[in-house]
Amino acid sequence: MQSDQVLDCKGLSCPMPIMKLAITMKKFETDKVLELLTTDPGSKEDVPAWCERTGNDLLETVEEGDGFAFFIRKG
Amino acid sequence: MAKVDSKKNSILAELYSTFFSKSWPMWVGGILLGVGNIALFLVLKPWGASGGIYVWGANLYNSVFSTGFGFKGGPLPAVGMFPYSIICFLLFLGAMGAALMSKQFAFRFPPAGEILKGLIGGVIMGIGAMVGKSCTLGGFFSGMAALSVGAVVFTIGLGLGTWIAVKYLMFEITRFPKISSGKTASVLGAGKGKGAWQPYVGALVLIWGLIIAFKYTDSSSVRAWYAAIGLFFGFVCQRSRFCLVRALREPFTSGDSKPAIGAMAGILVAMFGFTVIKFMGIRDAMLWVWPHFWIPAIIGGIVFGIGMTISGGCIVGSLWRAGEGHIKLYFALIGAALTMPFATKYIATPLYSALPTSMQTKVFLPDYVGYGASIGIFAVFFLAWYYLVKWNERTGKFSAY
Repeated sequence: MQSDQVLDCKGLSCPMPIMKLAITMKKFETDKVLELLTTDPGSKEDVPAWCERTGNDLLETVEEGDGFAFFIRKG
Repeated sequence: MAKVDSKKNSILAELYSTFFSKSWPMWVGGILLGVGNIALFLVLKPWGASGGIYVWGANLYNSVFSTGFGFKGGPLPAVGMFPYSIICFLLFLGAMGAALMSKQFAFRFPPAGEILKGLIGGVIMGIGAMVGKSCTLGGFFSGMAALSVGAVVFTIGLGLGTWIAVKYLMFEITRFPKISSGKTASVLGAGKGKGAWQPYVGALVLIWGLIIAFKYTDSSSVRAWYAAIGLFFGFVCQRSRFCLVRALREPFTSGDSKPAIGAMAGILVAMFGFTVIKFMGIRDAMLWVWPHFWIPAIIGGIVFGIGMTISGGCIVGSLWRAGEGHIKLYFALIGAALTMPFATKYIATPLYSALPTSMQTKVFLPDYVGYGASIGIFAVFFLAWYYLVKWNERTGKFSAY
């Protein structure tokens, strides 16, 4: 899947991935797609929950290597 | 026969998947930890962690530098003889076993700036725990269940400290994003087509933990139970990602109410059991009512709250995340363990001797209003807390995003 920007949060533990995601998305344009990379197992549940709560679309979650790639469209 | 065998496998596979394919809801974790806490109180005393970490650090100093640190005015117990040090270690093992069983283990090396934040957060937690005589257990999770008013003050301090540190983290991520970016590594992790070994090693780790617990039965059945319950705590924490930092932090960040509700569930369950134990005189009613009301509790709570938010885990949260392989949290534990003995000697002891005794007392609520009204007061407190986090989740009033 194509993305407009990659946010690398590999190696980071809670709360850094979600906080960095939230701050990055604030400055993001609507309908653009962010690719978030994480290795924290907690992000598997936290990222979809965050997207749902904040009205952003989680287009796809890919489990790759040691972690996850989340494709999120700004809502 | 082959058909029967495959059916057997699928039943076992189903059992495995029940426990290890998805994280458990946090309230389930909270309830299980509450039950474990009651079991621990029946064995001896409620759950705590900072004393255990202090004993680790003080033993290290005493053996390397002959510093002569004691413990609570007496001689320093050995790590293997002190129940709370045993709990901390077994909790770490239980979490490691659970992470491996669910193929979530990996040594995750964050950027150098994050490792430093882990260490600094640990140092600050070490100071807060010694000043406040508690961590998120003694001054929050177990302390409230013990009907201690000092625990309520300490928890309010934790909330304030968390709020301050969230402001700092937002500032850091916006202004100095380099601190949390840079070279990272992940070692031994599972993923597509690798890590099939993890569940087997995880089972071995858990069996090892049980053997440690069993070996203590020769010398002390109390220590054996502490060890077994510690292993259980670690297992439950990792599987439910139970986190007391998140319980206090999420209202100020994402607004998610689940971690707070998980904490409340655990406290309420433990409160029920603790009250029975105390009321019936099975154990001393003043246990886990610390002499920190109110100045040391509020200062210690704020300081500890700042530290745990910067490191990303309180003592227990750091232990189970270390078990899962997060290197940052190893540094948080090292920072706390190495700071606590000095924080006691040079900060907490002078502070307590300078304060009037009226500002460092044990306040056990039933002594003032009886057991019935105490439970009622705490019920109102929890209802208000529940209402506040749920209302905030809907409105985002206090949340940063």
